[in-house]
Amino acid sequence: MNKPDFSIEINGKSYRARPEQTVLEVVREENVFVPSICYTPTLGSIQTCDTCYVSVNGALVRSCVTKAEPGMVVDTESILVQEAQYEGMSRILKNHELYCTVCDNNNGNCTVHNTVEHMGLAHQKYPFKAKPYAPDNSHPFYRYEPDQCILCGRCVEACQDLQVNETLTIDWSREVPRVIWDNDVPIDQSSCVSCGHCVNVCPCNALMEKSMLGEAGYLTAIPPKILGPMIDMTKEVEPGYKEIFAISEVEAAMRKSRIKRTKTVCTYCGVGCSFEVWTKDRDILKIEPLEEAPVNGISTCVKGKWGWDFVNSEERLTKPLIRQGDEFVEATWEEALDVIQEKLGFVKEQYGPDSIGYIASSKCSNEENYLFQKFARSVMGTNNVDNCSRYCQSPATAGLLRTVGRGGDAGTIHDISSAELIMVIGANPAESHPVLATRIKRAHKLHGQKLFVADIRKHELAQRADLLVHPKPSTDIIWISAVTKYILEMGWEDKEFLQNRVNGLDEYIKSLDKFTLAYAEEKTGLSQETIIQIATMIHEAKSVCALWAMGITQHKGATDASTAISNLLLITGNYGRTGTGAYPLRGHNNVQGACDFGTMPAWFPGYEPVQDASVRERYEKAWGTPLPTEPGHDNHHMVEAMQDGRLKALYLFGEEMALVDANSNFVQNAFEKLEFFVVQDIFFSKTAQFADVILPAAPSLEKDGTFVNTERRIQRFYKVMEPLGDSKPDWEIFQLVANRFGANWNYKHPSEIMDEAASLAPLFAGVNYERLEGFKSLVWPVAADGSDTPLLYTESFAFPDGKARLIPVDWTPPFQAGADFDLHLNNGRILEHFHEGNMTHRSKGLNHKVPDVWLEVSPELAKERNLEDGTLVGLTSPYGYVEVKVMVTDRVKGNELYLPMNTREDNEAVNYLTSSYHDYITHTPAYKEMGVKMQVLEQKGEPPLPKHNHRYGNRVPQISVKVEEKWSRTDFTPIDEMIIKGDEHGTGYPENQQKSS
Amino acid sequence: MAQAIRKISKRVPDQQEEQAQATEEIMRELTENKEAVLGAIQLMKGLQEMGIYDALRGMLENRTEVGAIAIQQINQPFMHNVIKNGMNGAKFLGSLSPEQTEKMMKGVGLGLQKMAEAGQQEEPQSLWKMRKKLKSPEIKASIAAMAAFMEGLGTAFVQPSQQEQDKKG
Repeated sequence: MNKPDFSIEINGKSYRARPEQTVLEVVREENVFVPSICYTPTLGSIQTCDTCYVSVNGALVRSCVTKAEPGMVVDTESILVQEAQYEGMSRILKNHELYCTVCDNNNGNCTVHNTVEHMGLAHQKYPFKAKPYAPDNSHPFYRYEPDQCILCGRCVEACQDLQVNETLTIDWSREVPRVIWDNDVPIDQSSCVSCGHCVNVCPCNALMEKSMLGEAGYLTAIPPKILGPMIDMTKEVEPGYKEIFAISEVEAAMRKSRIKRTKTVCTYCGVGCSFEVWTKDRDILKIEPLEEAPVNGISTCVKGKWGWDFVNSEERLTKPLIRQGDEFVEATWEEALDVIQEKLGFVKEQYGPDSIGYIASSKCSNEENYLFQKFARSVMGTNNVDNCSRYCQSPATAGLLRTVGRGGDAGTIHDISSAELIMVIGANPAESHPVLATRIKRAHKLHGQKLFVADIRKHELAQRADLLVHPKPSTDIIWISAVTKYILEMGWEDKEFLQNRVNGLDEYIKSLDKFTLAYAEEKTGLSQETIIQIATMIHEAKSVCALWAMGITQHKGATDASTAISNLLLITGNYGRTGTGAYPLRGHNNVQGACDFGTMPAWFPGYEPVQDASVRERYEKAWGTPLPTEPGHDNHHMVEAMQDGRLKALYLFGEEMALVDANSNFVQNAFEKLEFFVVQDIFFSKTAQFADVILPAAPSLEKDGTFVNTERRIQRFYKVMEPLGDSKPDWEIFQLVANRFGANWNYKHPSEIMDEAASLAPLFAGVNYERLEGFKSLVWPVAADGSDTPLLYTESFAFPDGKARLIPVDWTPPFQAGADFDLHLNNGRILEHFHEGNMTHRSKGLNHKVPDVWLEVSPELAKERNLEDGTLVGLTSPYGYVEVKVMVTDRVKGNELYLPMNTREDNEAVNYLTSSYHDYITHTPAYKEMGVKMQVLEQKGEPPLPKHNHRYGNRVPQISVKVEEKWSRTDFTPIDEMIIKGDEHGTGYPENQQKSS
Repeated sequence: MAQAIRKISKRVPDQQEEQAQATEEIMRELTENKEAVLGAIQLMKGLQEMGIYDALRGMLENRTEVGAIAIQQINQPFMHNVIKNGMNGAKFLGSLSPEQTEKMMKGVGLGLQKMAEAGQQEEPQSLWKMRKKLKSPEIKASIAAMAAFMEGLGTAFVQPSQQEQDKKG
């Protein structure tokens, strides 16, 4: 039961307050000014800045930690309070030189600047004192300037308790305290994962993006030789801060005309972080996250915060290219479109519409995916359209569609952070979905959330787990089913939920017969006790979220394994409530949206089947053309059809299929057989090398559109800059191509495309650009009135009778490469790079942190084969060969290897080793089922991972900034004591006077 | 059959073409702004003849060094005083009420006028006459105003300055 609101008195007026609110939160909400430097809504109270003193019932208290109580009398204006706040601020300014006009952080949002100005501080009580430390410029992306650091500890709080990387602390034991990284090492050599949290929250210019320095201000590029005396002179002649601020305000206002701030949505993983991009012409000055961002708030990760250099890369495609003999020749758009019209038109006429395949991009917008499937279906007459969810989460979608009816996450990141138990199965969120992982790490560290991880690799969340299990590869469905069976046997199922909301229980229970504890132990290698332990954890938690990714979905029995997870959640009643549900973590920024908006062979936008005549009729009427009636080829089918000659031409955009699809040799060989191949991309990718025409596209920063993240959240991104060279937004290109085939489209802006999609797909009925303005977002399904659905299944499941379905599933044994291939090859992502690196490898800073790919080898295997960091080995599978350097790590065990996919080099890319075996239902490749043999090529060599990588770092976990250590310093006098003692003028309110006398 | 190829033949922009386009743009701007351009040329010619261009070039090429010297020169007590006095002066003017100033200036004007008139009178001023004049309401008002002014002035002398206050605080 929520307690009712109550009223408190502030400066003689009555205000509403909610239970659990602090006095500071109340005054902030009511716009009553109280300075607060260290407090932010996300980080909460740190208690270091001592500026937020107010008088409560006559006593001076920190408003940030004083809970509002009914009848409380608060005073924020008396002279006594102002003296306390002034003292707090003066102590801060002892650590911070105000040279705002020549500071790159003078952009109107500097907390220190704004607070000093608002308080009307005229003079500095304590002189500024430089600290005896040099600035730390070692990190490629940001720098720490101790002289400007006010020791508020926001950065430490963010690092320790929000990002939970536990790198930063303040060393309060020194004569002059400062922020340190790990055990006081240069930033670049610490455990810092470059997430940017510390820089995002810094209230001044102590932690700054290097890309801002000397760039943001009009006067900030002045050489130090001139700048130093200028600062001195300004301080000498200026009568007070008021005048400094007058000038700096003017300068900050002038910056507005040259620094553009544009809201965008990240284009890397599926978490869907949104933030402002600050640009000066085409230069990206910084990424600035804001509290109001619905998913990430002030959080970012290394790629989202820093990984945007690719936009200005000299290697961007800027002109259409046409294959002529053994080279590509630059051409005009007209020339390129002529070729496409002629060749694609010929293939269509000669071999029929189904002889052409269309591969869409999960990097591109909803509008672009919508338009592409419309082009394939309506203009070109085929359902042969698919996207890269086929490589990752199609099995999860299928598993959820058949059990609960919606192919998306059951809730949002807020459910994940509020669950009592998080199950992470075959996923590495700390590297693949970093900001989402922070919410788990925070809840686990601070709020008692339990964490269970099942993985064959000991990644970060595995290291932090309360229970970590390492089943034999490809056996997850067995232990999941055994856990479910055990729960049923113990009577721990949610009987009421099953009775009222679920179909198929009896048949399902029967199907579990074989999954005894003994069978599970034999097949998975997990002990019976461990399986009971897992079941007990689930039973004891009132709310459970299950998160999974490629560790489940890239197997031959992937849809069934996903189904088993959903079944387990149904049995235990973990759907439809806050903190529950199934969360297949989407890998790309818009892989959810690509599926949602119809680039799938069997579905129109909004998951309506192409075989349904009434749905088809709706689209035929709207588009004015007949539509194909049968599902088309998926990606896998297309490759097969290219190989046997049924598919003659392919139009692909924004997808590095040559390296990302499994069994690269086979896929590339298939490309070679095409009669005509159009590739549309921002870079000259490996896939583009096989093309006949290459069209230069524009990335998200150069266009408008929307993405759907893993939560089903639709978010808008805005054009930051014009397309580079002759490149064009993908939707414009589709329109040009479609019009060559008589489409006669005339879309002027992506919002018109969204309006069309929303008018046709009931799932998005109420979606429009106005409702998505700025940081507003909508989580589908969206009703016509604009109401959305952050949490699914609260009332009913997405089936006609509203009931979920338990689906019996069985184990599919994995592909075995044969006895010769004695090492198990696991593969996936790492934090610093994205996928094959077409974008992130264009960043100097990211390449500094991770220049090369490496092979993770266990200490046991290293010992057995005489391997060490830097040993060059060759790996052979039945499908190909690569050469990579070794890193020995206990993240992997025994004969299990881990080879990240982040390389564009032909002799290193993991998919030259993987096979075309696939999930038997969705055709998602079984990337995770491969054996290889290893030969040592060069025993000694330079380690592929440089010493300045966070993996070598040494974390220093603690809760918050340890402000008690500050308070126990001999040079610290509590402000309330000092002010009350010093209140000799007797100028406080009567109650204060009484207390101080 | 399309093998993977990496070779891209970039259409090198025709230099002559590019140049011709640029020249055309420049010529258009020149003719459209004929008066301004000719004026600027005259000005530039003058500066060139005076040798100012050479000096400017030298300063530009060595801007960091020159800047450092300049700021050093400015960052001296003399200049601090100039700037501070300038700002104090401005502050002083800002603090005056325009009505009062108007009244005072009018008074000063009239006073000067009277003074001039008195100087022109050939008749010598006796002390007696002057004492008698002290009784006139105008002179009494003037002396009272002077006394009040001096009191205010004295207050500023007696009170410690802000800086001194800071030092004490």
